[in-house]
Amino acid sequence: MYLNVLRYLARRVVFALAAFLFFIVAIFTLPRLIPGNPVDVLVSRLVMQAQANPELIHAVHRKFMEEFGVGLPLWKQFTRFVAQLLRGDLGTSISMYPRKVSEILALFLPWTVALLIPAILVSWAVGNFLGVLIAWRRGTVLDRVITPILLTINRIPFYWFAMVMLFIFAVYLRFFPIGDTYRWGLSPGLNWNFVVNYLHHYALPFLTLVVISTGGWAIGMRSMTIYELGSDYILFADLLGLPQRRLLAYAFRSACLPQVTELGLNFGLMLGGSLLLELVFNYRGMGSITFQALSTLDYPLIQGIFIVLAAAVIAVNLVVDIVYGLVDPRIKVT
Amino acid sequence: MNTLLVAKDVKAYYSSPKGFVRAVDGVTLDINPGDVVGVAGESGCGKSTLSNVLMMNVQPPLKFVGGKLILEGVGDLAVMERQKVKAQVWGKVIALVPQSALNALIPTRKVGAFIKDVLGYHLKLDARKASALAQRRFQELGLPVETLAKYPHQLSGGMRQRVVIAIATLLNPKLLIADEPTSALDVSTQKQVLKMFLHLKTEHIVRAIVFITHDIAILRQIATRIAIMYAGKVMEVGPMEAVIQRPVHPYTCSLIRSVLTPEPEVKERGLSHLAGDPPDLLQPPAGCRFHPRCPQSMAICTQEAPPVVGLGKDHFVSCYLVLEGCQC
Amino acid sequence: MKKLRNTRLIISTGFFLSVVALGVVGPWVYPVDPFSPSGKRTQPPSWEHPLGTDAHGRDVLAQLMHGIRTSLWIGVIAASIATPIGVLVGGISGYKRGVLDELLMASTNIVLAFPPILLLLLVTVFVPVRTRMVVALLIGLTSWPLLARAVRSQVMSLKERQFTFLARMAGLGDIKIVLVELLPNMMSYVFSSFVWLMSGAMLAEAGLSMIGMGVTADVSLGTMLFWAQMIDAVRRGLFWWFIPPGGILTIMSASLLLLATALDELFNPKLRGR
Ligand SMILES: Nc1ncnc2c1ncn2[C@@H]1O[C@H](COP(=O)(O)OP(=O)(O)O)[C@@H](O)[C@H]1O
Ligand SMILES: [Mg+2]
Repeated sequence: MYLNVLRYLARRVVFALAAFLFFIVAIFTLPRLIPGNPVDVLVSRLVMQAQANPELIHAVHRKFMEEFGVGLPLWKQFTRFVAQLLRGDLGTSISMYPRKVSEILALFLPWTVALLIPAILVSWAVGNFLGVLIAWRRGTVLDRVITPILLTINRIPFYWFAMVMLFIFAVYLRFFPIGDTYRWGLSPGLNWNFVVNYLHHYALPFLTLVVISTGGWAIGMRSMTIYELGSDYILFADLLGLPQRRLLAYAFRSACLPQVTELGLNFGLMLGGSLLLELVFNYRGMGSITFQALSTLDYPLIQGIFIVLAAAVIAVNLVVDIVYGLVDPRIKVT
Repeated sequence: MNTLLVAKDVKAYYSSPKGFVRAVDGVTLDINPGDVVGVAGESGCGKSTLSNVLMMNVQPPLKFVGGKLILEGVGDLAVMERQKVKAQVWGKVIALVPQSALNALIPTRKVGAFIKDVLGYHLKLDARKASALAQRRFQELGLPVETLAKYPHQLSGGMRQRVVIAIATLLNPKLLIADEPTSALDVSTQKQVLKMFLHLKTEHIVRAIVFITHDIAILRQIATRIAIMYAGKVMEVGPMEAVIQRPVHPYTCSLIRSVLTPEPEVKERGLSHLAGDPPDLLQPPAGCRFHPRCPQSMAICTQEAPPVVGLGKDHFVSCYLVLEGCQC
Repeated sequence: MKKLRNTRLIISTGFFLSVVALGVVGPWVYPVDPFSPSGKRTQPPSWEHPLGTDAHGRDVLAQLMHGIRTSLWIGVIAASIATPIGVLVGGISGYKRGVLDELLMASTNIVLAFPPILLLLLVTVFVPVRTRMVVALLIGLTSWPLLARAVRSQVMSLKERQFTFLARMAGLGDIKIVLVELLPNMMSYVFSSFVWLMSGAMLAEAGLSMIGMGVTADVSLGTMLFWAQMIDAVRRGLFWWFIPPGGILTIMSASLLLLATALDELFNPKLRGR
């Protein structure tokens, strides 16, 4: 019995590692597909972009050549690449030379986590609750009106909705600050002043993210619950005379399980959305740094962001799979 | 003794975009205490629909069109609201084991937990008493008690079927309706399930059983009466021996003959020596519904449905060949 | 109930076609150049410029019309790329099962779990000049997994039904069974999936453009938002500039999604929702 759980876990872990390896190989290969010396190409793009001073460019070039391992055989480049990764060394940023990529990411990542994770959990809970409610009243006016509205909300582009929210509540009504993460000059810490100021800045992006994502969860939960309500075991429970609310509870339980898996699959999508949203709100997280890396073509930084986000997506999916294995008896005991 | 359930000229149609599907079209059936009524007929002739209609589980697109359903001690179910029937009858007086019984257990709930839900709701039993009752009943029916601690996916098909039957009869309903309870099982498992039905009856856990199947051979081992259904109508109904030994309706004959032909294909693919398919219930044929496939069809069969005629004790048939009998 | 679904079908088609008309017929009725300045900068709506002008003095309405065309074009092409891939991967996976199925589903899940925007980011870095075709291709190649998953479960249930059994008896090959027996039974589903993928592709295009990684040297609804964001239109209160492109995008994408669900309910009422 426990052997099964172990086998399931082992499979998930192997799958996660394989997926990560796949991305590592991809990110290693891509720049090296550029004909000629990739470092030359990547740095020259930087030169075209920003009129940096020649000495700096030279230093950057040398550092980059060394980290890239230009001239070494490909397999040696790869082992170096992996060894650096294992040490947590993601290279040196070009646009913020000589700061290390890992240092920069450590500065920005926590803010994104603080925004994204609560927003995902809250929208998941609210959306599922709403979905069951609509499924319960399926076919009624409530369903016919709310469902198309939710479908529409589900299609509003994150970043545009963010712009509209910012315009209405910050620019026009002035309920919230017009962006940024916390007031300039405050230093992050666990003191009253900072926390209140942070939450004031946090509220609008958080609500935007929650409102937008709730629609999708509710729609998914509605159709899952309706599907389960039409299943054979609900019919049997109904025929046994069990009350309507009990049937709904059974359907809800079964419908929740796939929603747990969806949580993992949707994480990536929401992550992408929240990066864009951060841009609009000037929220200092991974979104801002991604945009900066892209607009300066800071390749080591882009690569670092990519690796960290890929690892996050894979790790979240692994955790979700493990949780799923624990809550679904069909996996737990066979 | 009073008749348990009387169905009188019951009609229930599915409304579909193309019109009404006359799945149950004027069925009359008496179910007496002590009876095991076997209902047999090809796939699609309305057996499952009938099983639901008998306990007034009628929901769109199915519509109750007419007839009476008199349940002893309750009254005419046909004029009661579905919710009221559910509260007064389902599980307690009439229990149904649906055709989909193999998937009828909640995948995320242990068998015992589900039983506690049922007993807790109906009998207001606490968990300990419910569990004791469940164990006693499982032992009595020859089911391993460990099953109570298992999830449905851990049980074999036959075991799941038996567990569902055990759960359906927990509250000692007067009438148990079982829709194709043996069809998905292999022969040895079928035997166990049949034994269980006999036990339920001899121990008076239930008073009568309606046993639905497309396999008439099974009925020989369990039924006291047999009703032959075709295209939404009962063609012949009577005591088991009479119907099997001296069938009158040509359709009954072909059903019985198909059993005697020991080809494995036959049971699966319908009746090999009977040409054609069962009719489309959107537009059933005029006259006798069986006439297009009937080897002994006459001119009158195409025009007017034959009346139901009694033949001796409790044996009724709807065919113009009452006097001659069919050529088996 | 039936009637209601048809109402949803009609309303969503109506909304979508109106936007399409704005993009297709609009430029004829309102022949203003979307690419070069035609008035003063950041003008609010007026008779001359019904939706005002942007920070370069370009007419917003003209840009909007052109942007609709770009978005539609990319949506159609991307969906045309993603649909066959999704159907093929899902079809083979569901039909063959076994190791091939596991492999295909594993790769599907990787692509699915991964934020498409990140994957696109990586590629776009190495493709500095991006035509409409390049963007459509990138989106098309990353948006098939959900469809593949759905098709797989469809095929698995269709396979159980009798006609495939009979076809197999008749000695048809596997590929033929998928193409001849299964696909025709899923045509309506494939069509609604196309509509639904198109809805997503247009959003993806805008998302890419929003970080400056969309089409270069062209106007789309996404690039309009990008420029508005770059020039801080929100904080400067230039609502006529950033509200219309997102609004139109929402209407197009939502009406397509509603259309897809209405089609599903009409043709595949038993289908589990996506
Ligand atoms: N939901 C439905 N809508 C329309 N027609 C139905 C529906 N369910 C069953 N039918 C039709 O009703 C007839 C009887 O079906 P059923 O009672 O399931 O037959 P059986 O159990 O004897 O195989 C069939 O012709 C079937 O096609
Ligand atoms: Mg049936």
